[in-house]
Amino acid sequence: MIEFRNVKKHYPNGTVALDGVDLRVEDGEFVFIVGRSGAGKTTMMKLLLREEKASSGEIIVGDYNLTKLRNYKVPYYRRELGVVFQDFRLFKDKTVYENVAFAMQVVGTPTKLIKRRVPAILNTVNLPDKGKNFPSELSGGEQQRVALARALANNPKIIIADEPTGNIDPKMSIEIMNLLMKINKLGKTVIVVTHEKALVDYYKQRVVMLRDGKIIEDRVGGMFK
Amino acid sequence: MKKRYRLSYFIVQAVKSLWRNGVMSFASIAVLMSCLVVMGGFALLVKNINVNLENLNMMNQIVAFCHPDATEEEIVAVGDEIAALDGVESVVRITKAEGLEKMKEQAGEYQDLYSDINDENNPLSDSFEITYKSEEDVTSLQYSLSHMEGVRKVNARVDLAKSILKFKNSIQWIFIWFLVILFVVTIFIIINTIKLALHSRRHEISVMRYVGATGWFITLPFIFEGIIIGLVASAIAYFVEIFAYSYISKSLVSGLEMIKLIPFSEINVPVLLQFLAVGVITGVVGSCISIWKYLKS
Ligand SMILES: Nc1ncnc2c1ncn2[C@@H]1O[C@H](COP(=O)(O)OP(=O)(O)OP(=O)(O)O)[C@@H](O)[C@H]1O
Ligand SMILES: [Mg+2]
Repeated sequence: MIEFRNVKKHYPNGTVALDGVDLRVEDGEFVFIVGRSGAGKTTMMKLLLREEKASSGEIIVGDYNLTKLRNYKVPYYRRELGVVFQDFRLFKDKTVYENVAFAMQVVGTPTKLIKRRVPAILNTVNLPDKGKNFPSELSGGEQQRVALARALANNPKIIIADEPTGNIDPKMSIEIMNLLMKINKLGKTVIVVTHEKALVDYYKQRVVMLRDGKIIEDRVGGMFK
Repeated sequence: MKKRYRLSYFIVQAVKSLWRNGVMSFASIAVLMSCLVVMGGFALLVKNINVNLENLNMMNQIVAFCHPDATEEEIVAVGDEIAALDGVESVVRITKAEGLEKMKEQAGEYQDLYSDINDENNPLSDSFEITYKSEEDVTSLQYSLSHMEGVRKVNARVDLAKSILKFKNSIQWIFIWFLVILFVVTIFIIINTIKLALHSRRHEISVMRYVGATGWFITLPFIFEGIIIGLVASAIAYFVEIFAYSYISKSLVSGLEMIKLIPFSEINVPVLLQFLAVGVITGVVGSCISIWKYLKS
């Protein structure tokens, strides 16, 4: 369960990015976050990742109250989340396998478990044969699927994707979205920030619309207005 | 599920990173090494001065030389007169034969120089080693002795001790300031080396943060970098110090027989341990400052 309670965020330079957001997302839900540029979507994701702290209000994610979360506990909290960015953020000098394994290594997963788990995850994102390839040898859509595999590596409960299709062509975008839907069906909460009206309209999922830091619409099975 | 982090992971990461930023790593090691050599050289100098001063003070002696052609009776009379002076603890007579013996002994391997001199043509004169009761008596004793009939020359070692002490105190501050500046420069260079290392891995660090690596896991390789810089620098500094010390010992021993240098074999372990401690601490302090600055931004 994710809950925002009257969350406000102003940046040090005075910009009010979020202005009283109330939102509740149940476990296993799929939510699109939409809105114009500058509406505060990325800020919401940053607060969820505890990259930024809310200026006021409360954010609760599962057992964690982010308002009260101590800095040294943040890494353990982040293992509950998987993140995907518009720009993939893969290591060019590591193979696909190594990119996914990296996320497990840095949280201290035993090698034996990594060897078993990485191929299974690559299978989930439909890249079973690409383990030995380098990111430069893959298409944008495939690279984003590697990033998604990495996000899934530590078996998080929640997947956050900030404009995951922003850098890839529309046909590939469908593939990524289908994959996110599939992951949602596997029981994970999925939050997708996007600009793409067509995609949102096509999937008919819950849509939360932001404008000037406020939620102006929240509809289940909704459309992008 | 048991979490395991292997030490080898951090060390391998640290070595890779040092290798990648070779020039900066080299600069850090070279500067830290120089620092340690200077610090060690200074510490050894002070230690040697202290030991030599102790030797001189232990003697707390004044030596009074008689005239070379004084008769036995005259010499005995001078001895009695000295013993009667205020502030004299004891008087020991050194005959000229004993004096010659001592001189030959101190000459060590250069004894040949004195081979032509024997009791017949001994140019030395009899002398008295006078031990005094307290430092305060020295000046008046010196005065009385130098005006005594039958005394040719008076040597008070305390003068030498005082001038050495003065020398030590005056160089001490220059050296300490010099060292402080050197260490500041060293830390600055190490900070920049680690900063460069952090910068070239910033992408990796940001991904590590997103997937939930702990602060320790992320920063430990950089602390290890500091440790390795410290270890390598102190090891090299140790060998440079051995070499320099033995070189200086050799040239000093043959020049000035009254200075006794501590053999390096007696101090090698403390020197090595101190180098390692100071080197590693400097490296770790440098990397911690750098990491702290990086995490703050
Ligand atoms: N670090 C920051 N410092 C100051 N202002 C910021 C910062 N990040 C974002 N902002 C401002 O906060 C507001 C919301 O930004 P945010 O990135 O959340 O928007 P967004 O909805 O993700 O936009 P986009 O669709 O362009 O990605 C904007 O006005 C932006 O300029
Ligand atoms: Mg954004």
